[in-house]
Amino acid sequence: MDSLFAKADAIQPLRKRRKTEKDDHRPKKTKASGSGSSSHDATLTSVAQSTGLPKSLRSSSPPPEGTRAYSHIKDKKLRTQLTRESSQAVRAKKLVQDADLLLTEEKGLMEVEGDMEKTWRVGQDEVTDAAGQEAARGRKEWRLDGNPGYLKYQDTSTGQLVVEHRTKLGACTTMTQNQHNAVIHLGHQNGTVTLWTPNLPHPAVRLLAHLGPVASISVDASTGGRYMATSGQDGAVKVWDCRNWKGAVRTWNTRGGAAELEWSQRGALVVGTGGSVNVYVKPAIQTPFAGTVSPPLYMTHPIPHRPISSVRFCPFQDILTIGHSDGLSSILVPGAGEPNFDSSEADPFENKKARREREVKGLLDKIQPDMISVNPEFVGSLAPEPKLTTAVNDKHDIPFARLPRMERLRVSGKADETEETEDEGDDGEAGDGEGKPKLTKAEKEKKKMRGKNKSMKRYLRKQRKNVIDPKAVAVRHKLAKQRDEKERAKAEARGEGQPKSVALDRFKRRS
Amino acid sequence: MERIFAKPFIGALEGHVDAVECMARQPGTLDMVASGSWDGGLIVHNIIKKSQQMRIDVAHKGKITGITFADSNRLLSCGVDRNVKLWDFRDVDENGAGPSEPRKPLSVFPGKTAFNSIDHHRSDPLFATASNIVQVWDETKSAPISNLTFPTSSETISAVRFNLSESSVLASIGSDRTFTLYDIRTGKAERRVIMQMRSNSLSWSPTFPTSVLLASEDHNLYTFDIRSLTHPTQIYKAHVSAVMSCDWSPTGTHFVSGGWDRTVRIWKEGQGTAPEVYHTKRMQRVMSTLFTADARFVLSGSDDGNLRIWKAKAHEKLGIIDSRERAALEYRERLKEKWKMDAQVSKVSRSRHIPKPVHKAAQLKTTMLEAHRVKEERRRKHTRAGENKPKAERKKVVITEQT
Repeated sequence: MDSLFAKADAIQPLRKRRKTEKDDHRPKKTKASGSGSSSHDATLTSVAQSTGLPKSLRSSSPPPEGTRAYSHIKDKKLRTQLTRESSQAVRAKKLVQDADLLLTEEKGLMEVEGDMEKTWRVGQDEVTDAAGQEAARGRKEWRLDGNPGYLKYQDTSTGQLVVEHRTKLGACTTMTQNQHNAVIHLGHQNGTVTLWTPNLPHPAVRLLAHLGPVASISVDASTGGRYMATSGQDGAVKVWDCRNWKGAVRTWNTRGGAAELEWSQRGALVVGTGGSVNVYVKPAIQTPFAGTVSPPLYMTHPIPHRPISSVRFCPFQDILTIGHSDGLSSILVPGAGEPNFDSSEADPFENKKARREREVKGLLDKIQPDMISVNPEFVGSLAPEPKLTTAVNDKHDIPFARLPRMERLRVSGKADETEETEDEGDDGEAGDGEGKPKLTKAEKEKKKMRGKNKSMKRYLRKQRKNVIDPKAVAVRHKLAKQRDEKERAKAEARGEGQPKSVALDRFKRRS
Repeated sequence: MERIFAKPFIGALEGHVDAVECMARQPGTLDMVASGSWDGGLIVHNIIKKSQQMRIDVAHKGKITGITFADSNRLLSCGVDRNVKLWDFRDVDENGAGPSEPRKPLSVFPGKTAFNSIDHHRSDPLFATASNIVQVWDETKSAPISNLTFPTSSETISAVRFNLSESSVLASIGSDRTFTLYDIRTGKAERRVIMQMRSNSLSWSPTFPTSVLLASEDHNLYTFDIRSLTHPTQIYKAHVSAVMSCDWSPTGTHFVSGGWDRTVRIWKEGQGTAPEVYHTKRMQRVMSTLFTADARFVLSGSDDGNLRIWKAKAHEKLGIIDSRERAALEYRERLKEKWKMDAQVSKVSRSRHIPKPVHKAAQLKTTMLEAHRVKEERRRKHTRAGENKPKAERKKVVITEQT
């Protein structure tokens, strides 16, 4: 037997005191093993190397400078093979140089030397020169040769119209969705911005943003939907804090009239107005500022073709595409896109199978539309404490499950109080004057006694009446007060207002 | 989603005429299970093919009360006809037809009184039987080599089991509400515990050497650590009638119990409520339960003479699961783990459909227990403070310990 005990003690010694719920269940801190940050670099660079077009599809004419000619070789096949090899070697060398040059462990904005140099003076040509080959491919130009305010939610998986809201604010020109809590922001012709959820028939938030029609709205995804930028026909651009709608965080006027707005994934705001597109970055654009001066400019790019119809950031790249009357322009904005994407959220390099899986999983994980609310934290938060409690003087003596049956019924509001009306009679009559027909005590008893004709019960009830428990009385008072308040609130809501005061009120006992 | 996929019943093996009393699985294989019934019939089943490997219609004159495997080819059975018989099932046809004349046992060990239970030693050729005393036999001798009793006991022993890691230690349960521990090497009973109610079945934990599970008449299961026998380490409450049998999974993390209330419940070790419940209209009182050696299936032998095979995890897919599917399943399990505190999620994962009589019995039981508790509290409230202290549930189980 002793060897048996020894075996068991080796596995789990018998604790004299067992762990209870009061013990500390937090995991104890162990020494964190420092994973090499160098491996982080190697992965990034290796990925950067191979996330491009396959080499066979890359343009091979004109061959990069530095390739050797091999014109002395007469054999065509051999010559082409050797020139191809040497051009590939030159390209690979350039890529390696780029990889070494770019500081791939930090994601950052472009930096300029010297105090006199401003970041917004650096033009697109310099940026493309400085950026690596892969990134520089983003600088492209394309040339192309043209209600009455209902908000409808339609379920894309079933095709059903979930809900239709009448905004009553006229035709809506702009709409955007806050990705963090799935609330729809609408901008209207009278300068109001409204926030809608499928549950409420009226807007959750209504805000007068501009003195003219709202031209464009955008919500910042990098701070979890905290900031919203709006622009109006009056030329004002305002950045709002979605948690506190009192006043705009930042306001300024653009000289070009209505502006197109867009937030990038990393919190850069692009304002496209008139003849140019301006980019503002994070710390300055989101701090509150008193005046109406435009924030410090990060980058600008002139677009000679007016008007600018839209601006959009490409999701995981530092590319901004601008739509204007003459076509599309794509410019490079360093530090705008999210470089380290989370492939379980959105993977730009997913293949067909992964996309299929993602669609199916998305359908399975789809939540009901009535879970959308302005506060995204409400799903999973604790419910507020119930109003009806048995706390006397805010002190809980007995939990609900342990109350006697009568108390339990009383707390849940199902108690039959006909026996106790005599005690409460004096207090309860105080000035309500609602004029409900009250049954006399005998009538009530007669009605109650239907089916219960035992004289013993009547006798016991009479005995019980004489027992006065101060706690029960206090609880009863509290519940009666709560009920009175509820009734008064209901009466006010109905519009009855305060009951008229009678001259004899001064003689009524104040409860 | 696992509730949609929960289809635990796999099949039923018929063959017995009367109720199935005891079952044993062959150590080292996954397919052979022997079962003995009240009419004396002994059948060795191949549960994978769902066929009978060997069938002996009159193995014992009365009820077969215990079966155990001696080694991979031999089988010991004991019955109320005061005999222990050793069988060999090596040379049988594939279809289990067997020779025309009734099979003869390899040897018969006669005893003085009816036997209640039998268990074989892990490695040595010894086995122990339980009747009114615990006797240890050698396979080669026809008389018991030693008797183990507690000096002051006069009870009927209903089950005896060898410890799985230290094989010279035996445990037994008796009709006078006792649980006794013996050691073969010292040749006597070491310790004894008297409980409030009698236990029906006993099982040693395969992974933790000193932990033993008892299935009790008071609808509960208790795990005891034999190092401190004064109170159980865990109480498992869910059955609404006496628990007739229990068996640990080979992993030591789960166990199965079958009860008089016609349900089979699979418990997680450490979680004392809300087990997985299996029931069928055709399955009557469950007399014996068994976990298979791969911990994936559970066998139940019941009053109606059938041996039923169930999945241990009701929503498990039995086919081949590729790596993506397994990753998805693990993710879902983790989500359930993470959100199990949420009321809706825990309600869905706890709730099982239970037959109406069992449900009603459970409700009645809770009402009565609640009434007792409230009465006890009121009594305590109206006595002088400190005179009547509440007693822990665990401390109420064991009356006394004797050595």
